[in-house]
Amino acid sequence: MSLNLRMIVVLTAVGLIAGGLLSVVNILTAERIELNRLREIEEAITQVVPGTVTSEIRHEEENLIVYSGKDAAGKELGYAVYASGTGFQDIIKIMFGTDPSVEKLYSLTVLEQKETPGLGAKITDRNAFLEYWENKDVRQPLTLRKPAVASPQDLSATEVNTITGATISSQKVLDTVNLSLERLRRALQEGILEKEDQDAD
Amino acid sequence: MPTKSLSAEYLKGLWDENPVFRQLLGMCPVLAVTNAVINGIAMGLAASFVLIFSSLVVSSIKKLIPNQVRIATYIVVIATFVTMADRFMAAFFPPISKALGPYVPLIVVNCIILGRQEAFSSRNSVGRSLIDALGMSTGFILALLILSSIRELLGAGTFLGYQVLGPWFKPWIIMILPAGAFLTLGILLGIALVIEQKTKGRTV
Repeated sequence: MSLNLRMIVVLTAVGLIAGGLLSVVNILTAERIELNRLREIEEAITQVVPGTVTSEIRHEEENLIVYSGKDAAGKELGYAVYASGTGFQDIIKIMFGTDPSVEKLYSLTVLEQKETPGLGAKITDRNAFLEYWENKDVRQPLTLRKPAVASPQDLSATEVNTITGATISSQKVLDTVNLSLERLRRALQEGILEKEDQDAD
Repeated sequence: MPTKSLSAEYLKGLWDENPVFRQLLGMCPVLAVTNAVINGIAMGLAASFVLIFSSLVVSSIKKLIPNQVRIATYIVVIATFVTMADRFMAAFFPPISKALGPYVPLIVVNCIILGRQEAFSSRNSVGRSLIDALGMSTGFILALLILSSIRELLGAGTFLGYQVLGPWFKPWIIMILPAGAFLTLGILLGIALVIEQKTKGRTV
């Protein structure tokens, strides 16, 4: 066999075998990876809208998915909003829960972030950040308290805390939440969510 | 090349030819993922899986590969195992897969793995390549473990996520930032050289 032919044969064979193996691996894992993703979202919804037993997607637009959380009797407890926005380094994906009238924010959780370890990455830490986001009044946009306070009791109902040394990460999360609240309200006003609600009934 | 005993072939990866401390290969993952012990171990295991299986495959098909396309062939073999490891971790250990982020796919271009194929597996028997890969993997995991233990302990006061140092300890945030990786690695490399000089009487 000439050298050229041998090179082509060897590389093609190696590529085909590798491709075949990978498609088998993909078949074996794809379902589980998707399940992991869904389970993570499900857990986040239960966390941000307390008492949720079942949930469903109610509205979807760019960088924003609205789920509604319901208790066992089917009563709507509130909306869980899955939103993404720019962070200090990369996209931050968050989820927060509001009551059905979008006046109160129950709590916030961070699903994906690549902020600076030890500083901005504290946005995932309950004691350092998320605790300061519980039960906020969101009839007006939330504001950032800076310099940071030491306890959630020191904040007013419309303020959230800054992480010392990571003001930008804190601010970016706040921006995403405020923007998403506005978009959620607009969707409500336009009747998009109600309409889908009737369909669901 | 004089043939070494099989145990020497394994042990050389731990110290004499330790991929991190002696060969200075694979610095990118070493610096990037060692901010927590669990990430270090996961990266070590993933890279070991890829190294061991790539060495097995490359050493068994070495006679079939024309010299001109050997690097391309190695990369395809390595990339296949990396993708397998990546998918496997995403399916069964999602939190770790998230923490390691892009560093798992980047094992494809980890110099330790390509280096062992070129320097060892392509010229040695399957058995010897396996032992070499096992030794190098152990050396790599040990290095990641040492680095990540120091960084996690000083940078967060924890080990494997458990609080080890008491409330009196103020974490040195810099240790879990990139700068801490360079500081720790530099000091460890210095210590490794001093030990080498003292034990072998070599000057560098």
